[in-house]
Amino acid sequence: MVAPLIPMGVIPESWNNVFAVILGFGFGFALESAGFSSSRKIIGTFFGYDFVVLKVFFTAAITAMIGLLYLSYIGWLDFSLLYIHPTFLASAIIGGIVMGIGFSMGGYCPGTSFCGIAIGKIDAMIFMVGMAIGVLIFSEAFPLLEKLYNSGNLGGKLVSDSLGMSKSLFAFLLTVVAVGMFFGATWVEKKVRKVEY
Amino acid sequence: MDRRYTLLAILVVLLAAGLLIIPNKGEKKEIKPDKLLLAINDQARFLSTDAITERIIGGDPTLQLIDVRPAKQFNTYALPNAVNIPLDSILSPSWTELLHQPGKDKVFYSNGDIESDAAWQVCTRNGIPGVFVMKGGLNHWYNTIIKGAEPSNTASGTDLDLYSFRQSARQYFTGSGDQETAQSGNDASTQKPAKVSVERKPAEKSSGGGC
Amino acid sequence: MEKNKKSGTFYLNPYLSGFIFGMVLLITFIITGRGMGASGAVKSTVVEAVNTVAPAHAEKSDYYSKFISDDAHPMNTWLVFEVIGILGGAFLSGLIFNRLKFKVEHSPKITSRRRLIFALLGGTLFGIGSQLAKGCTSGAALSGMAVLSLGGFITMMAIFGTAFVFAWIFKKNWI
Repeated sequence: MVAPLIPMGVIPESWNNVFAVILGFGFGFALESAGFSSSRKIIGTFFGYDFVVLKVFFTAAITAMIGLLYLSYIGWLDFSLLYIHPTFLASAIIGGIVMGIGFSMGGYCPGTSFCGIAIGKIDAMIFMVGMAIGVLIFSEAFPLLEKLYNSGNLGGKLVSDSLGMSKSLFAFLLTVVAVGMFFGATWVEKKVRKVEY
Repeated sequence: MDRRYTLLAILVVLLAAGLLIIPNKGEKKEIKPDKLLLAINDQARFLSTDAITERIIGGDPTLQLIDVRPAKQFNTYALPNAVNIPLDSILSPSWTELLHQPGKDKVFYSNGDIESDAAWQVCTRNGIPGVFVMKGGLNHWYNTIIKGAEPSNTASGTDLDLYSFRQSARQYFTGSGDQETAQSGNDASTQKPAKVSVERKPAEKSSGGGC
Repeated sequence: MEKNKKSGTFYLNPYLSGFIFGMVLLITFIITGRGMGASGAVKSTVVEAVNTVAPAHAEKSDYYSKFISDDAHPMNTWLVFEVIGILGGAFLSGLIFNRLKFKVEHSPKITSRRRLIFALLGGTLFGIGSQLAKGCTSGAALSGMAVLSLGGFITMMAIFGTAFVFAWIFKKNWI
């Protein structure tokens, strides 16, 4: 049991920010090289002419998930020490819907807009200005939203637990679904007229 | 090209299927009975009221006081910056994050130390590290810190030091080092919580980091 | 392929990118115990800005005051450093694949102005939504999914489900 390294004290806390830059570098490179700096490429997922978002997103998710589960099995990693994104039912759904509308209008999500900014996309820069305004609006309106923000707290609940199956069974099913989607996406891509962008 | 993707897909699915074969271990991280017994026999989990008072006054950021009494008692009087987790909801998921905060000493207290020790046992059994019990609970805290008796003239130097520490602590909590006013201040216990800043937004606080 | 590289339309195989991305995420979990994120950095910046311009106001507000005070929230600065890395990594990729250029990308059917207005509105909504859901696509959805968080899956489905519907409503903006 050695990982996670910083919470376990293997690597001193002070190295945290150094790793942040290095890991962010990999993150940015992977996103940009896949084409996430182009909003029209990203949005293509919804019209069926380019499924790059779906492919990259799910490949990344299952890679990390399977990796984590194997590492926890061989005992290198303590799964219970990982930060599990807490589930706030109401705010997760409503926040997700608001983000979904923003996504379809702006064509970026925060991570990809940083990639867009790095290569000089002016629309990405404006998107980021919008993000800052949105955060400001939320913070100012927080007293009104506080109840929603805190409601339905289920803590760091795992999806596999709430479905009543083991982590590995869920991971397996998700992988099968993801691979199925990849084939489906490739098939649809062939059918749909290409869009030049 | 397509055949390579098919191969890759099969490989990934096989890798995921491998997860099904390997035994599922450690889903629930409960510690073994013999380890629990060892931990129960270890008196190091008890922290004295003086040590805790010193940390409260010093504003020690690694101290997380947890009040396991019912909410009603907590609202009447509580130690500064304590969080109220009634004993019956100690396992509720809303508190997992608070209890798992790394680098913090989670100190349970109740009126005596029966409930707080029970909370300590539940947490220890669940593998939560860094949990402690305030020895003697609030009653003892009140008797030593707020009402601490003056040592006799023949008392040793350390006793006198302790007394003067307690006296300054009393001043910190009640606004007066004088025992009489301290006591009258405590009789009207309802006015107390206003003075003591009680913070009650624990779990959300750190989860706000989010994305 | 060489020709594509010159014209700036060469992209890495999505599965390879996804794999690299997944490995980076995995290493992040191994090292820090937490996932990636992006919107948190925007939040830190906004909080910092408000705190500088109007400290009294920031202190009073329930939301800002959660994130100021002391050094109790290392995660927020972590994300700011991570974003510096993202910008660097993306810039390098743009340099290699010849995509560095100032431009506004939009459908030929709309003007740049319309595109920028929509980007601003979309960004604003994303800003509000990401605070409400306590994370964006990378922080809540992707990092959440990797550790099988229920909230991560819910957020992911809400984002993509809604975006799918609304993308068709705003179809003219895109194709």
